[in-house]
Amino acid sequence: MEKKQIFLFFIGLLAFAQVFGQSDGVIVLDEVVLSDAKLLHFSKGAKIRVVNDSIQQKSGSSLTDLLRYNSNIYFKENGYGMVSSASFRGTNAQQTAVVWNGININSQLTGQTDFNTLIPGNYGDVVVRSGGGSVQYGSGAVGGTVLLNDSFKFNEGWRNSLETSYGSFNTSKLAFNTSLGKEKTFFHIGINHIASDNDYKYLGTNRRNENGAYDQLNLNANVGFILSDQKVIKLYHNTFSGDRDFSGTLTAPADENYRDLNHRSLIELSSFNERKIARLKVGHLYERYRYFPNKQREEFSFGQANTVLANYDYKYQLNKITLNGIIDFSSIWAKGTSIENAQRNFVSGTFLFSHELSDKFNYGLNLRQEAVSDYQSPFLFSLSSSYKVTGNNTLSLNASKNYRVPTFNDLYWTGAAASGNLEVLPETSWQVELGQTIQVKNIALSLNAYSITTDNLIQWRPNTQGIWMAMNVQDVSQYGLELGFDWKWKWEDQELAWESEYAFTKSLDNATKNQLLYVPEHLLRSNVAYQFKKWVASYQFLYNGSVYTTTDNSDSLPSYTLGNLGLDYHLSDISKIKFILGMRVNNLYNKNYQNVAYRPMPNRNFQLQLITKF
Amino acid sequence: MKIRNVFFSLLIIGLSWSCSNDDEVIQEPMGDYENGILVSNEGPFSNGTGTVTFISEDLSVVNNEIYKMTNDEDLGNVVQSIGFTEDEAFIVANVSNKINVVNRYTFEKIASITEGLNNPRYFIEANGKGYVTNWGDTADETDDFVAIINLQSYTVEGTISVVLGPEAILANGNMVYVAHQGAWGQNNKVSVINTASNEVIKTLTVGDVPNSMQLDASGNLWVLASGKPAYTGDETAGVLSKINTGTNEVDSNIQFETTQHPGGLNLHGGDLYYKLGDKVYKQSLSATSLDLDVALEGVSFYTMVINNGRLYGTDAGDYASNGTLTVYDLNTKLAIEEITVGIIPGGIYFN
Repeated sequence: MEKKQIFLFFIGLLAFAQVFGQSDGVIVLDEVVLSDAKLLHFSKGAKIRVVNDSIQQKSGSSLTDLLRYNSNIYFKENGYGMVSSASFRGTNAQQTAVVWNGININSQLTGQTDFNTLIPGNYGDVVVRSGGGSVQYGSGAVGGTVLLNDSFKFNEGWRNSLETSYGSFNTSKLAFNTSLGKEKTFFHIGINHIASDNDYKYLGTNRRNENGAYDQLNLNANVGFILSDQKVIKLYHNTFSGDRDFSGTLTAPADENYRDLNHRSLIELSSFNERKIARLKVGHLYERYRYFPNKQREEFSFGQANTVLANYDYKYQLNKITLNGIIDFSSIWAKGTSIENAQRNFVSGTFLFSHELSDKFNYGLNLRQEAVSDYQSPFLFSLSSSYKVTGNNTLSLNASKNYRVPTFNDLYWTGAAASGNLEVLPETSWQVELGQTIQVKNIALSLNAYSITTDNLIQWRPNTQGIWMAMNVQDVSQYGLELGFDWKWKWEDQELAWESEYAFTKSLDNATKNQLLYVPEHLLRSNVAYQFKKWVASYQFLYNGSVYTTTDNSDSLPSYTLGNLGLDYHLSDISKIKFILGMRVNNLYNKNYQNVAYRPMPNRNFQLQLITKF
Repeated sequence: MKIRNVFFSLLIIGLSWSCSNDDEVIQEPMGDYENGILVSNEGPFSNGTGTVTFISEDLSVVNNEIYKMTNDEDLGNVVQSIGFTEDEAFIVANVSNKINVVNRYTFEKIASITEGLNNPRYFIEANGKGYVTNWGDTADETDDFVAIINLQSYTVEGTISVVLGPEAILANGNMVYVAHQGAWGQNNKVSVINTASNEVIKTLTVGDVPNSMQLDASGNLWVLASGKPAYTGDETAGVLSKINTGTNEVDSNIQFETTQHPGGLNLHGGDLYYKLGDKVYKQSLSATSLDLDVALEGVSFYTMVINNGRLYGTDAGDYASNGTLTVYDLNTKLAIEEITVGIIPGGIYFN
């Protein structure tokens, strides 16, 4: 039994589209429990990767740490733990959507997500869906979408886990999760606290990361009730509170502090039978930041946004055809030091269609149109198809039109020599993707090729009077190739799982043909985990190619190779309590590297961890 | 440029442009920098370093990053300006709160001033001392000051408290004039400092957001104010003020239109020049209203300086790549040469 659990560690490493992709055998209730039907039914041509719970424990604490080694997203981090923005398939920070239990949670102010303000540990799963998905997930799903899903495990009894860890730079982590799953009720609370002085050495200098301390508290709370054979109600909540000093650079010290506060709440009522699922969601999102330019002083600037949303989703199964209609209403209010009260209302209608023409061939068509109070929103669509050439060889194809809408900052910012621009248009993006997966025994191979072209990129530039303004100034395009290789092996009391991915990415300014800033042309990563009896060793490898730091490609950051090593020992149960003792070495080769210029990342560091499950 | 607040705006907005320090260097034999042009490049605003470019007088030799080449270190974040004494150059790095002092002809480092500065902007020498405008802490509108630099020990030996947002600084004998652009906000003052007593003897009111000053041969100080920009919700017109330095009184004010926000005041051959929109205009010293005599059009300069019949204007491009310096002949109104310099070229000086 225990071995099986340890083996669960590896399953996530090997997950490909098939983890969610097999609709056969999934009963309706499972689909209701699994909150994201859009992945299950309407993402057939897309590349989807699930990162499961156990690997999350292995990969530190933030979503940045997890995805840096488990996806081909490049993260620009302003020093470890500081603001972290994603570049997915060569796109920019606003072109990756982050979706929490089906709701797009990218900031209404900045249009992006700071990946160091999301703690993945409490979620049932983290899913990385590559490529365009604006029809399903809204603004920003251009390069790809990262989905955080809570899971509701009815009938699983009472489970607790307590994870404590301590390591270099006075970094302490505490995570406690408790869940109770009965036949008709489910309840879960997860709490994380992470604090660190984060005063790592700047290798090659005699200085340290002096103003980089952080302290974060995260809470997830979920409740579910099966009201009848045909009705389920679920309540989700997440609160994140972060307090960070902002690191300086190699050339400038810092005395700044930044505080984030996020609340996310959602009620979801589902009613279903064999043919249909109807869902009503009502939710509230709150985001606020406070920036203290000098942390010794009281003055700060702030921004905040409230979103109230309602969403009705009706899905109908007609033999081999699945139809789904969704209506969304949202109202967003934002204000701040540089934004006077601004409001946006929007309504969107989405139609999703999927047809299993035969056991081998599936195709789908998805459409979306929005009406928004403060800008013109384009009509969006996606077409997808997958074809099983043989039992273990699947081809997929999809094409989509996606978008990124102007943020509240883009439209309404005033002050500090910068100004929003009400004339800004949404960015529109077209893309096509071809994929192939081959599974031979315990080896899985995947190959994806894509091409994206985006018009009207929103950028901030000075106008003729020197005032910085949001403008649609650039057209860009990306193309690339991704190659994945997974292998698992089991022999008596040993198991091995090896998962690797190589990504080639071209991301070009259409006018100059220069590679865009901070997009590595080559990225190679590899994770190996090996279990022998009660020992589990793991190794993470990342080769990050050189990135340009100027738009004329006159300057660049060098490539780097990183390795992390982990070793876990599963102690014998003591009165049915499981203990796992772990040690981890990050940046094993003590590499001096930066993913944003002049902002060094940590030297070699260590972490000890004890996980208790009962 | 109010570079740090712009930087933060953009951080919040979500842009991250930046750069490291290995600009492509045009390899030329290292001579001295005695006869030629120095361009200070602010560098990327969120991180990285500014640089200095040397261009020989005949425009044939261009050396980028001469401070780093000579001293093997970075100048610091956002190189705002360079001020000069007879033999030395004082290179002001605003965000790094640092002034690197070098020999202005060899660029060999003499000292670094790191204590006693807070958001330093511009340096001038007067009466045997250096004077540096400082915004102080940008959250505090009352702590702005002018630092007094001891030119033997290269330390800050005193400060003079001034009103909000000291920016451009100019010396006239023992008097120092400071234009108060207003740091993050806007101001409309010129401070007059007597360097004998190191006291502010007078604070004059000029147009909103005074950005540049020139002293003419008759001892008049010309101050160009851009007016408040539209986004403030209280847009005001640019103003050209003439100050009599004998009496330290404002003699006259010439108003622009409310939507006109001029900058970059220069003096050449008995005429004033300034930039407005995509044009450079010429203004006679004796005129009592705007001449609006177009000297150059279809241009957009980040900064411009007129020297010896030539106009030198920079273009910062997209602010995330190397900018250019274009040299124009003012008589023919034609561009003579375009030279690639560093990131955000903000200062042009003549050695």
